[in-house]
Amino acid sequence: MSIIEIKDVSFRYKGSAEGLLKNISLSFEKGETVLLCGASGCGKTTIIRLINGLIPHYYKGDLEGDVTVAGKKIRETELYELAGTVGTVFQNPRSQFFSVDTDGEIVFGPENIGLPPQEIRKRAEEVIEQMDIRNLLGRSLFDLSGGQKQKIACASVSALLPEIVLLDEPSSNLDRKAMEDLQKAISKWKSQGKTIIISEHRLWYLRDLVDRVLYLEKGSVIHEWTGDGFRNLSEAEINELQLRPVNVEDDTSRRTEASVFFPNDEVLILKDFFFAYDKKPKGILHKRHPSGDRLDLNIPELRLPRDKVIAVVGHNGTGKSTFLRCLCGLERSCTGKVIIDGREYGRRDLLKLCYMVMQDVDHQLFTDSVMSEVMLSMDDPDEAKCREILDHLGILGFADKHPMALSGGQKQRVAIASALAACSKILLFDEPTSGLDYAHMEKVGDLLRDLAGSGSTVLVSTHDPELIERSCDFILEIVDGRVGSLTSNPSFTGRS
Amino acid sequence: MVLIVSSVVMMSATTPFLWAVRITMTMIPILLLLFEKKYSSAVRFLILYSAALVLTLFFLSEESTGLLKSFLTGYCGIVVQFMPAMITAWYVVRTTKIDEFMSAMQKIRIPDGITISLAVVMRFFPTIKEEYMSIRDAMKMRGIMLGGGNALKMIEYRMIPLLFSCVNIGDELSAAAVTRGLGGKVKRTSTVELRLRAADHILISAFTAVLGIFVFFKYIR
Repeated sequence: MSIIEIKDVSFRYKGSAEGLLKNISLSFEKGETVLLCGASGCGKTTIIRLINGLIPHYYKGDLEGDVTVAGKKIRETELYELAGTVGTVFQNPRSQFFSVDTDGEIVFGPENIGLPPQEIRKRAEEVIEQMDIRNLLGRSLFDLSGGQKQKIACASVSALLPEIVLLDEPSSNLDRKAMEDLQKAISKWKSQGKTIIISEHRLWYLRDLVDRVLYLEKGSVIHEWTGDGFRNLSEAEINELQLRPVNVEDDTSRRTEASVFFPNDEVLILKDFFFAYDKKPKGILHKRHPSGDRLDLNIPELRLPRDKVIAVVGHNGTGKSTFLRCLCGLERSCTGKVIIDGREYGRRDLLKLCYMVMQDVDHQLFTDSVMSEVMLSMDDPDEAKCREILDHLGILGFADKHPMALSGGQKQRVAIASALAACSKILLFDEPTSGLDYAHMEKVGDLLRDLAGSGSTVLVSTHDPELIERSCDFILEIVDGRVGSLTSNPSFTGRS
Repeated sequence: MVLIVSSVVMMSATTPFLWAVRITMTMIPILLLLFEKKYSSAVRFLILYSAALVLTLFFLSEESTGLLKSFLTGYCGIVVQFMPAMITAWYVVRTTKIDEFMSAMQKIRIPDGITISLAVVMRFFPTIKEEYMSIRDAMKMRGIMLGGGNALKMIEYRMIPLLFSCVNIGDELSAAAVTRGLGGKVKRTSTVELRLRAADHILISAFTAVLGIFVFFKYIR
């Protein structure tokens, strides 16, 4: 008897016209590791929500058919009764914590189901041992990196000892190393005989773990492979299905180490980018940082090629975002200057010269229509120019819509439009492709190329090897706040 | 628990007029700041507070008139009366872990519904701060910090993205919490055992005494 039985299920979210799942029947065996893949909006997340009971108990909609998990009919089971059976790791590490500190988070689940304190402590101890997270204990969750947060999320799911573990795009915000840690956590669960179901776009780290792979399209399963069948898929077949690669080489190994030199009229020169979070410069004496100091950002001079797409890479917490923030002029105490064609731009000019498209675009959309959003950036509003920019980015059709009503990719374009309207020459992107499927990633990549082609210098901070391969001319590596290397991208083939 | 009691006492104790006791009470938040290694804010608060105190005691009286003076009265009032309470409240939120808070509330038999909503509020403070910071950055980049000179716009630009992202986060947060069994019928247990110790009893009685003195002098005499 299989542990999860989904029978003739159709589902439509409340308020949406089209059904998301169409008459789907699936069963999962005990101890199986199953991967759900397919484009965004294909119904992966919906299946996860069917199994953990969030549908129909939290997200309302029209549900037909029956879901049975470990002998319980989901429809008749309250969410808290499922807590000890099904555990879920969600996509966004920011919003799945109830506590503020790590210890409290791990014991939160067991406390809810009313286990005796001794038992909880015993379990917490075991989980901490298994997941190797002793170094994270007693810390504020707000100070942890994305990878560390996801580790804690795994641990707190483990502490409930669920038979079934669900993961909903858990790697979206993780760098390579953090993904490897996640891989370890999953293989630990697998060895304990848990049933694991993962919905994911980035596939390589699951390659050796999966027993079965389901490919969904528009709410139905249209392909199914065994683990071996999946591992033997050719690159062409993977491309055909618009999946992200199953095999990813370690991208550092094949990078050419020769640094590139550019003539003066084709570069931006960055000068004196020094910055430390804990040391606010006081008075003139501190403005010049002696080079021996421990700085969070230490770039005396850097020449970047103009009108190109440059990937900014490096591990989490190594200074990538600090670099971008300083370059935007967001850090008051950073004294860096940018020189273009002999003209010097200080911090205040940089605020205008550069524009950063943030990872969470919601933060930078302020008005009630796309049009006025773009006009807001112009010194003297010019409707014709605004339409031109929107048309160029392919969002003219949404000019009167509310920005918040758009999809993620469209919002990103609105943010870019407002940057172009402000005549920003340097565009910075912070993880523009996290959580995107292959087709959307491709679109973003093309957009970046397009922007560079029309006279903007584009810097992209990213963990996404596929994006780099597709669209970046150069790779700038940041190591501990210093420039590790600036190399041309050997794998970039010049597709546009 | 001790912390909650102390904050309640602080708030009422700072309003009436018994200067000596009042100043002593104000030293408590400064000490708390020092414990938390927030030296610069402690010093800043100390300076602000003494300035406000000196001003109120020597320069301002009930009959003060004029714009400047009324401004000063307002400012001193805020610093002297609200700041100590706010700092203490901040200290409570900062040092109390959420599970400690929840089990404390359970001990004094507050219904679960109230406890959980208060806990979510506490959990949300740092989130709001984080979100607010990045919205401010975004505004700086757009050069709309001053909302084009329009105060209403200034608030609108800040609040709209903040509300949107907080609603989203709140939604995901509660989904995550219910899958881990929050809101069940079973009685919640807690790994943190809270018990009132001698020190707590002494503190509580000391604060109650101070409160008593204030009430007595202000209203009864």
